[in-house]
Amino acid sequence: MTRAKDLDTVAPDDVVEVKKNQVIKKSEIINPTTSKDFGEAKSVDAKMAAFRQKIYDVLGHTSHPLSSFLVKPHVFTFTEQDQEEEIILVMRPHWFTNVSWVLTTFFMLAVPTLIRFIPVWTGISLKYQTLGILFWYMITLAFALESFLSWYFDVYIITDERVIDIEFKNLLDKKFAEAKISMIQDVSSRVAGVSQTMFNYGDVRIQTAAEIPEICFERVPNPDKVIKVLQMMRQEEEQEAIDGRVR
Amino acid sequence: MLPDFTSYFILLERIFAIVGTGLYLIFAIVIVKQVSMMTKNVYDKFNGVVIIFSYIHLLLSLLLVLMSIVWP
Repeated sequence: MTRAKDLDTVAPDDVVEVKKNQVIKKSEIINPTTSKDFGEAKSVDAKMAAFRQKIYDVLGHTSHPLSSFLVKPHVFTFTEQDQEEEIILVMRPHWFTNVSWVLTTFFMLAVPTLIRFIPVWTGISLKYQTLGILFWYMITLAFALESFLSWYFDVYIITDERVIDIEFKNLLDKKFAEAKISMIQDVSSRVAGVSQTMFNYGDVRIQTAAEIPEICFERVPNPDKVIKVLQMMRQEEEQEAIDGRVR
Repeated sequence: MLPDFTSYFILLERIFAIVGTGLYLIFAIVIVKQVSMMTKNVYDKFNGVVIIFSYIHLLLSLLLVLMSIVWP
């Protein structure tokens, strides 16, 4: 279907007849390399790229793929991601939050050694003692696996368009929440307690004007950097709105 | 004369073992299901390792069920 040239007089869905052998004049073709608009667009793109680089300078870079603070990850994707959407930061709860379940796992591994001193235990047949110990080790493995998975799939993502919270708790509870960056109203952080102060992690609360009033990034590393980046992203989004480049 | 409770006790142990390991097997299946669902939602470098671990866990729990049934 050929589009009408005079859009003021023709309805958007009207089909315009084009005669066969109609030659388009050379002057009608816009040369993108000489166009003034193209030059302006190029300079705006360069400005935005410089701005984005500033954001990455604030964040630094990731040293380990299992890090809780992945800056511009190359491998990471998620189902709801748009084709043009760029992931700026992926966060998980700080590694120190794993210490409690790791210690508990070690304690659980030591339980079969300690249980021998309980008199009731010796009354059970050897066959079921062995089965019981194996069962206990399986429970320990399940506990460790569940705790690791809860951490691994508890993901907070900042893209160039939105903030996303994907949570996976106790294996049966999956949560997905998102808010556009342009909808963010207030951002606050809280670092409380000895471990959070020592290892610099805490909660970042994002108040939004969207349907979900608040998104909370729980126990994430470098909350001050996250706040700074969100602030810069909001500025970028405002600039995009002024330039009329809203996606 | 007191009745012999040993055979009842052994039967009770066996029932507990089978029911316990059976429930555990269901839990292992749930883990595999959830992991495969989450790895589809979130793709990261270590997804393959996590999937392998969930299947190893399922296999071990299956062995445990078999052990509780077959073991003389």
